[in-house]
Amino acid sequence: MSSILSIQSVTKFYGPIRALHKVSFDVPSGAVFGVLGPNGSGKTTLLGIIMDVLKASEGSYSWFGEPPSEKHRQQIGTLLETPNFYHYLSGERNLRIAAAIKKKGEDDIPRVLEMVKLTDRKDSKFNTYSLGMKQRLAIASCLLGNPSVLVFDEPTNGLDPVGIAQIRQLIKDLSREGKTIIMASHLLDEVEKVCDHVAILQKGQLLMAGRIDEVLTNEDFIELGVDNGGLEQLRSVLSGLSGVRRLKEQEGHIQLYFENGGISLAEINRYCFGQGVVLNHLQLRKKSLESKFMELTKK
Amino acid sequence: MLSLLKIEWMKVKNYRTFWILLIITVASIPGINYTLYDLMDNSFPKGRNGKTMLLGSPFAFPDAWQTVTWNASLIFLIPALLIITLVTNEFSFKTHRQNIIDGWNRKEFITLKLIEVLMLCILCTLTVFLTTMAFGLIANKVDPGVSIWQDSRFILFYFIQVLSYSMIALLISILIRRSGLSIGVFFIYMLIEQVFVGIMRGKYKIQQVNYLPEEVTDKLIPFPYAKALLARDTPQWEHLIPSLITVAFLYLLLYLFLTTRRFLKSDL
Repeated sequence: MSSILSIQSVTKFYGPIRALHKVSFDVPSGAVFGVLGPNGSGKTTLLGIIMDVLKASEGSYSWFGEPPSEKHRQQIGTLLETPNFYHYLSGERNLRIAAAIKKKGEDDIPRVLEMVKLTDRKDSKFNTYSLGMKQRLAIASCLLGNPSVLVFDEPTNGLDPVGIAQIRQLIKDLSREGKTIIMASHLLDEVEKVCDHVAILQKGQLLMAGRIDEVLTNEDFIELGVDNGGLEQLRSVLSGLSGVRRLKEQEGHIQLYFENGGISLAEINRYCFGQGVVLNHLQLRKKSLESKFMELTKK
Repeated sequence: MLSLLKIEWMKVKNYRTFWILLIITVASIPGINYTLYDLMDNSFPKGRNGKTMLLGSPFAFPDAWQTVTWNASLIFLIPALLIITLVTNEFSFKTHRQNIIDGWNRKEFITLKLIEVLMLCILCTLTVFLTTMAFGLIANKVDPGVSIWQDSRFILFYFIQVLSYSMIALLISILIRRSGLSIGVFFIYMLIEQVFVGIMRGKYKIQQVNYLPEEVTDKLIPFPYAKALLARDTPQWEHLIPSLITVAFLYLLLYLFLTTRRFLKSDL
């Protein structure tokens, strides 16, 4: 898979504050790529740099394997930080300006307005819109001309639960059409629900980047429990198993981490029973992005 | 470039504040001239030839060029206000970022703003030209033996002046980004420079203040009234013109350089 976007050791200073430090990663074609991090971790700064509204202090990036230019930006639908429109113009007139800058025809405007359910308010001035409507107009603007790459910064900001569900569905639909989507969010479950790749930022440092199942996969663990008093015995039995990477006791259960591959629940059950330990709890747990994130950002 | 200008046009054509400021800009030029003309016509005793004895006839050719351009320069704040509004709007709506994100490059954005400034200055100059014609040809009789084009160079001086005021307004808007503050800084700078020039020249006889950003173009259009009394300065002024124009031109290059550099290089 070729890279749509390649970022090479981008560093950004705001005066003495270092907002990004040597961040590098690639976004493969067709990915739904989540850029994840707490508030102030540098997500928007990073997206601002790849859109040329901010200048990197060091490092470089390329779009579609080429040095960046406005031609690329015309092919990318971008929502950065807040919806930016002319307050005194109607939603539709704002989209006409966006379409003209992107060098797309105006005939696509009714379609995108319909997609975000703004058709009946298209003639209202932008400053009469609610926060959610502004956000939807910004998403409509991204969709103009059916771009193959979309960049969303906190796309569900300001939306109500129905709106959030609609945008998530939209992102899934777009992904199914083969589009590459780069999405920044501090909402972990949002990223987990729609993304297949993730980069995690904290205080401007890239903690990790990759496929979401690779980032999480070797973090699956098995949780076991026994009746009162049996925990010590269970621990010593389990440490005899081959391939165990780590044993952790938590809240009256034992968490068992395996080297890659692991072992089936049935095998564990059979093994324990064979050693004279009767389990009352046995569960395969996938580490959620949230706990992974908490663990990473705690350091 | 034409298609880019069309987009700029889309931004303003339904913007009421733009039209109001534009109409005020255009209307204020004949407006202030008429006010001063009316004042003069009614306030000063007239001799037998219909001319006021003290002032001559500043609105007749050839003096009309100097009078109308000087009067027009009194209202320099109004076109500057229009420029500051249009440019700082982009910053407050963050559309300067969105335009870049959507696929303009930074050079296109700032070039369009420069073209807008130029077009506004051409419009003002054209209005001044027509106003001069109206006063010189309609409100006054052209004396026999006077060419109406004599002293028409003041139109060029006015253009240099309005362009340099406008470029200062653009530079301040790009640097400060906020409309109220930009208007304040622009106006206060103009005021401070006037006071400074007055003190330096009056008290300390320092003539170099002629070359400050505002004064250098103001100096191109001297006070047009009561010429008979002040005529002793004229030869010296004639002598200054080439250097004033040169310095004004250098300032324009500097404003152009600083404005584009700031927008091309900095974070938006």
